Parts: sequence; C-alpha cells; structure tokens
Amino acid sequence: MTDHKASVPAQTEGMEQDPPQVVGVSDSAPPQVVGVSRCDSAPLLWRDQDLRAVRVRGLVGALLGALPRTPRQNGRLGRPLLLLPEEERLLTELHATANANQGGGGVQLSLQVKQHLEEQERSLEEQRVLALQDRKSALLHAMTSSHTGSLGPSEALRGRLEALHRSFTFPRGAMAVQLSTARAGLHHCHEDRAFLRAQQPITVQHDFLRAQQPITAQHDSKAAARYQVFRDLRGRGFYLTSAGKFGGDFLVYPGDPLRFHAHFIAVVLSLDSSLSPLDVLAIARLGSNVKKTVLLCSPGGVQYPGGAGGVQYTSLQWSGMV
Amino acid sequence: MSEVSHRAEEAPNWILVHPAYQQMKSLEVEDSAQVHAAFLVYMDLSEVRQWKEVSCVKSPELQVVLLEGREKEGAPIQTVFPLPTHRPLSHQSIRHVLDRGFPMLLCAVASDSTLVYQRMTDGLVTPDPPTGPFQDMGRRQHRKRRKQQ
Repeated sequence: MTDHKASVPAQTEGMEQDPPQVVGVSDSAPPQVVGVSRCDSAPLLWRDQDLRAVRVRGLVGALLGALPRTPRQNGRLGRPLLLLPEEERLLTELHATANANQGGGGVQLSLQVKQHLEEQERSLEEQRVLALQDRKSALLHAMTSSHTGSLGPSEALRGRLEALHRSFTFPRGAMAVQLSTARAGLHHCHEDRAFLRAQQPITVQHDFLRAQQPITAQHDSKAAARYQVFRDLRGRGFYLTSAGKFGGDFLVYPGDPLRFHAHFIAVVLSLDSSLSPLDVLAIARLGSNVKKTVLLCSPGGVQYPGGAGGVQYTSLQWSGMV
Repeated sequence: MSEVSHRAEEAPNWILVHPAYQQMKSLEVEDSAQVHAAFLVYMDLSEVRQWKEVSCVKSPELQVVLLEGREKEGAPIQTVFPLPTHRPLSHQSIRHVLDRGFPMLLCAVASDSTLVYQRMTDGLVTPDPPTGPFQDMGRRQHRKRRKQQ
C-alpha cells in the first residue's frame, strides 16, 4: 500500500567553478512541494511523502511525536517532523514549501474541535456516574457483610451513603480516554484530507518569515549568520542537525546521520565578536573528548567569482602538547 | 651585611634583563600583559620543549607579539599566538594569524602562568577516526539493549 520511492539526490553539474550551490533533486523527478503546518511558529511536517522528500534533499529535522503503541519513552519518536528554522528557510527559498493550513481548514477544524470537546464532556459525566455507583456498592458491601441479619446499622449506612453522594468528586485526570492505534487518520486516505492539501508554493520569501514574529536586531543578525553557514555547509553536501547537546550551533555529518557519526561541531559567530580564550579552550576540549572537530564558522570575508559571500572556517584540534 | 641587602633590593627582576624579553620590548607593543605572556611562552618553547630557532615578531594588524619556531631541526615553521586569558579573542584575529601561512598554535596564559596550547587550522579538518581493534560486542550487548527497551 505504501509506495516506496527510492530517490537519490543528484548533484548539479559544474559546481567546482561556482560558489557552493544547494543540492537539488535530479531533473527527472519534478521538484516536490512539501506541506508545512504551523503549531504557533514551529514548522511541522505531517505527511509521509513530505518527510521522505525532505530527507532526500539532505535535511534531517527532528521527530517530535509520541507513538501510541510505545508510550512513555523518548527513544523512538514519530511524526510530526520539526524543521530547523534554517531548513524551513532553505526550502522556502527553493519554492518547495506550501502552507498546509490554508483553504477552509479554519472553520471545519474548529467545528471538529468543538465536537471533540463535547464528546469528552459527555464521556466524563458518564464515567463519573458509573464511578459513584461503584463506590456506593462497594461501601454497601463492606458495611453489610460484617453485620449479617441485623438491622441496627442501617441508619449509619444511609448516613454514610448520603455523605458519599455529597462529597464524591471525579477528577478529570481519572477519566479514561480511548485512543485508536489502528492505522487510520493521516496515513489512511491521506490524500482526501482537505486541510493537508498543499499545492501552491509560497513565493513570498524572507519577509514572510520576518513578519511572523517580532525579532530583535541582535537575534536577527545571529539568525542570518546561522542561515548562511547552514546553506554553505549544506551546499557542500553535509547533513546538519542542531547541536544543543554539545554547546554548538550545528552538528555536521559527512552523510546521512543514520549512517555516520558527526565530524564537526559548528559554532557560528561573526568575525568581530570577541570571546574569552577560556571559552575557546573549553569547547575545543569538549570536541576532543567526543572525537569531533570544533569548527568556528563566520560568514563574510571570502568572495566568490559569482559575487556571493562565503564563510570562513577554522578547525580547532588537539595540540598534543602536554 | 647592609651592602648585601642593599644589592638585593636593587637587583632587578630577571625577566626584565633577559635579552629575549628586551627584544620583545623593542617591538613596541603597548599591551605589556601580552608581552609578558609572550615571554613566558618563549621560555616554555625554547627551554622546556627545546624548540629550535624561536624568535619574536610583531603583528601590525593585531598589535601583539607573535612567536615563530620549529619543533625540531628541519621541521616546518609554526606561529604561536600568546594571549593572556583575560584578553578577548575574535575570529578575525585568528584569521589574521592564519593568513601568515604557517601552522598556528594559540597559547592561553593564565594568571598563574599555566600555559595551554590550542591548534588552529584553516578549513574543515576531519577528526581522526576511532582506533581499532573493533570487536563485535556479541549477544551480551544485544541482550542488555533489549532489556533496557
């Protein structure tokens, strides 16, 4: 039922002369437009083919979703795929993203949400009634089993039952919710879901992203620097993921992260920003301990014949001088 | 007695009279802490590590004292950039030193005179691959993983 497209990315020819180009999909297959959903400002991909298309372009992202059949673990996660801001921006510049939240999804969706909440309330009431009944019968059983045949404690029993009825609460957390783990929903008949249909690529680029949220000037220049480094390294064929665990900006892999360990921890900084030598030593030491080279990346300063600005790289290595 | 103590008070700091230090002083770099750091690195390279042909040179763009030397006879020249740890460092200044064309070492000099050398290279240098021998962990590791899941 699932169609497995084994797509292999093809390098565009004549790359040696030009500044590093972004790797595109081969000309034989039409470039694919992926549907990006937004949760607040986070760009998410939900559809199987979108995740595959994005991986073929050399973008990794991060899976966020829980898997219903294997709950309470973070080892293996499922869809949706969260894109890095740099990944989303790259796709947008290639006209490869479409807004998946368009076209009437708003009204229909809010109606569905309202129905779902009403169902939940009904289920809660039902469960509350059943739970109270359960407790009363348990109380009755406990009280009468020890006083077989005698009529004495019936007054006390009635009092207890009434007290129970008055003070009984059924918290929301105690409600049982049924989840369907059958393969349905997004995977099944996924093409029919109107709100997932994504056809028109977004043509408004850089400013569209800026208009979404207020960004301070400092954050903006740092984000721009990160994007330039991301694009340059991606253009050289590396795969990049975020490097929060190692105190850097990106982890740089020579190929798909499923097959290789990262070679570099990329730290993005502007040419003139000043660091303490101790910070440089600290991150270099960390890199040596995990067998990765720390890469100081600064956009600017390198000019290519085409006029595009390049990125300067400095590798930090173990000196071996003790 | 008083003569001896008098002479002891007058005897200058041995660093100040050292010919290498005086040579660095003559380069007229304003940052005296950096010059002091450069001298300590010079002593470490020449006396402790026995580097050959260690000399000092001024960097006009950075206004600092840089050292050059060979690790062994016939080895290529390397540039060493001595820097006190409380001084700031920018990627731009690192690039200036790399532009001289020699392999570069940054030497951070702490306030207690501890020296730490850091190799810096232009471009993307792949890290050394893990060393063998590579052994298949066998069923024990597999069983351990399964148990954890």
